[in-house]
Amino acid sequence: MKKKIISCVMATALTVSAFAACSGSEGGGDETTVEVTTRQAAQTDASGNQSYSEDEVLEMRMFACMAGTEINDGNEIQELIAERTGVKVKETWLTGQTASEAIGSIIASGDLPDFIDGGDGCVQLYENGLLVAWDPYLEEYPNLKEMYSDAEWEMFRQDDGKIYWANVFNNTYGKSKATGHNDEAFWIQVRVLEEAGYPEVKTLDQYFDLIEAYVDNHPQMDNGTKTIGYTALCYDWYYYCIENPGEFLAGYPNDGSVIVNLDNPDDPTIEDYNTSEITKNYLKKLNEVYNAGYMDIDFATQTRDEYIQKLSSGCVLGMCDQNWNFAGDIAGPLHEQGLDELGCEYVPLGLMADGVTQQQWHVYGDTLNNSSGCAVTTSCEDPQAAFQFLSDILEQDIHDLRFWGIEGVDYLVDEDGLYYRTPEMRENWKDETYKANHCCFYAYMPQWGGTSRDGINAMQPGEQGSEYRAGLSTPMANLLVAYGANGLPDLIGSVEGVAQGPWYPMWSYSNEMGGRNDTAGCVAWGKMGDCKHIWIPQVVMSKDFDATWEEYMAAYAECNPQDFLDEMQTELDARIAMAEAAES
Amino acid sequence: MSKRKTVEPDITKVKLTRKEFKRQWVLILIAALYIIYGIVFYYLPLVGWIMAFENYKLKDGVFGSKFVGLDKFKFLFKDKDFIRVIRNTVCMGVINLAVTTVTAIGFAILLNEVRNKWFKKSIQTISYLPHFLSMIIVCGIVHDSLSSTGIINELLLKFNILEQPYNFFAHKGWFWPIVAFTNVWKETGWNAIIYLATITSIDPALYEAASIDGAGRWQKIKYVTLPGLRSTIMILLIMNIGNVLNAGFEIQYLLTNGLIQEVTETIDIYILKFAISKMDYSLGTAAGIFKTLVAMVLIVGSNAIAKATGDERLF
Repeated sequence: MKKKIISCVMATALTVSAFAACSGSEGGGDETTVEVTTRQAAQTDASGNQSYSEDEVLEMRMFACMAGTEINDGNEIQELIAERTGVKVKETWLTGQTASEAIGSIIASGDLPDFIDGGDGCVQLYENGLLVAWDPYLEEYPNLKEMYSDAEWEMFRQDDGKIYWANVFNNTYGKSKATGHNDEAFWIQVRVLEEAGYPEVKTLDQYFDLIEAYVDNHPQMDNGTKTIGYTALCYDWYYYCIENPGEFLAGYPNDGSVIVNLDNPDDPTIEDYNTSEITKNYLKKLNEVYNAGYMDIDFATQTRDEYIQKLSSGCVLGMCDQNWNFAGDIAGPLHEQGLDELGCEYVPLGLMADGVTQQQWHVYGDTLNNSSGCAVTTSCEDPQAAFQFLSDILEQDIHDLRFWGIEGVDYLVDEDGLYYRTPEMRENWKDETYKANHCCFYAYMPQWGGTSRDGINAMQPGEQGSEYRAGLSTPMANLLVAYGANGLPDLIGSVEGVAQGPWYPMWSYSNEMGGRNDTAGCVAWGKMGDCKHIWIPQVVMSKDFDATWEEYMAAYAECNPQDFLDEMQTELDARIAMAEAAES
Repeated sequence: MSKRKTVEPDITKVKLTRKEFKRQWVLILIAALYIIYGIVFYYLPLVGWIMAFENYKLKDGVFGSKFVGLDKFKFLFKDKDFIRVIRNTVCMGVINLAVTTVTAIGFAILLNEVRNKWFKKSIQTISYLPHFLSMIIVCGIVHDSLSSTGIINELLLKFNILEQPYNFFAHKGWFWPIVAFTNVWKETGWNAIIYLATITSIDPALYEAASIDGAGRWQKIKYVTLPGLRSTIMILLIMNIGNVLNAGFEIQYLLTNGLIQEVTETIDIYILKFAISKMDYSLGTAAGIFKTLVAMVLIVGSNAIAKATGDERLF
């Protein structure tokens, strides 16, 4: 009988464990729920600011579909913000997966964080009914409403007429204070220009002549690392680095996947730059550079991590990329190794193809990207608190905490009310460890660029002219003086005063198409992406450029690019019609 | 248990009477658990196959989405990429199966011939350790050793075989061999264990008899060891043939890059790309169904062949 009992017990245990394994995932989402009701009890201090004690703080999660660095637990500014707002957000970032895979798995698993920036997957999140509409909260929280004008908010509406996310970037409060070039460019190391005596660089030929001459003179860095003349990232969606210079070189702004041809101003038409003569010449140039041995032999197979590592070692003289893709990641490492003082920082050049007279690498004014942004998910237990938090962090004092830090510790205020940092403070903010323990940007949550509400300072220190100039390395400062530029926008010299059409940027639509498979255009767009991934590197590495180019064009035509272009044209027309309707 | 009958009835003819049930209920309970487990985890999910025949949207659910018949399958078989993906999967699967089986058998025989027991044991232990490494680590090692600054290129440069570092991952021809090598490196020791065990179970008298007949080492391997392994090899081969279409996800996913995706993409990666990245669960399911059907055909087919040749078989 004893045996029987034992086997019974074991059998039951097995069943229980099998079913426990099934139901385990359902409980997972609840980890973050802390007693919601107790939050009302928050203390109000003398100045009218609320403050929350530790056990009242609500913990929330955020996932941003971008590579990023997690901050440490107990981060000082994060705690301060939690004390003020009653919410602490644990941010996680994209690792190992591609962006669309990450969003796809999140949707499939149903395990959503409270906040999410789904990148191009935002529409998928909405279509699956996983996001909370902003509309009722927009009226309640003027800070949020203030982010965009009514016409701009219209752009964020989905087909059910509601708003589900707000893009947090490229949004200027008051007057613009931009000092940097946060867009795409052919970048070149300061030391290359310095050695050549700060020449004017306008064409690809001049650009690569400089690089080749520098490699010949300095085949190695002082520490023995081999100098790489030029590299191009082809990994996953970052392949724009090699793919879209053809559009910029032709003088067009960053519509990303297509050119909007304005030859007939009344009838803007979609044009494909992948097959253009300018793109062909650009790739031909890369092919020459590659075959002459000045281009990174691993360019086609490197991952983004490897690419960032290469740039951080200071050995790459030039590349074409968006500033936001590399600058933030390499600034710290370059500084720690003292490479910024050796001229290994990058400056942008506004190159043009022959016959093009003006370029728009730098777009002045804000770019409204309605295809992605910060959203609150249906898994959030307390959306009210979530929106309250998004609103709170736009309050000037908390905004300052996020981007400037703690007064007296991270910045000082002079008698005119202007914020400034001592060299020591600036050092701290370049130190990755210090940042992980101390700084809390909530970088993918609502924020402002431009001028602070005090009318004196910049919302973000990088845009504070005095701070920007004081924080420059010597070679960079010398370069700006030599070119007579105040900041990088001056250096790149893009045409000013060109208003972008209401359709700009078209990439916000093509990116969205990348996450679908339900129209001929989407299928074509997917195939075109694969085709370009396969062929562009081959064209660049080819021993017989013309033959490979022909093969590429044949393979490209097989993807039916016209299906895609037609749908882009439809979207372009729709955007124009929408803008006209909003005006009248 | 006290009133055990003296004559056990023929087990195949026992009817499930109440009395029998009472007598065997513990066994039945244990068996039932596995049956329930099987139904819940293997058969219930098959309801999801409906998705392949509709335009599945997450918010409409399996039973609310629009029915589209065979559209998804039509898309699949019109898609040149899918055909290419099948080719990649089958080729890599067959190469892996052939190479890992041959090396495992070879390794087991070689190890069996080693006379020094201590040496034999340590080689065996060392050789199966890589099996326990996670694929991401293995792929990291492979990727780094083959990179332009990795050990392979360093050696080739040092011995003046190459003048410039060579990028192995930028050439389509290298990918399948790299995958096969990675599998061999990781699994040979582990796969050899089962063959080694079989070899030790071969009757020593056969070897003695062979010696008396004047067989040397080589002939003993040829006429005693290999025939002794035959049935094990057949069983493992049949089981693994069903796995040919599982040629892999991890290695290919971790070592691939845009440039050579034409030869690296397997069915699993294709499914990931469409079902998860492009949210077309229907297409993913259709591809999955196709894969399952082919695997079934393969396993039944190879079993039939084994039956016909009079070898050991699975069912």
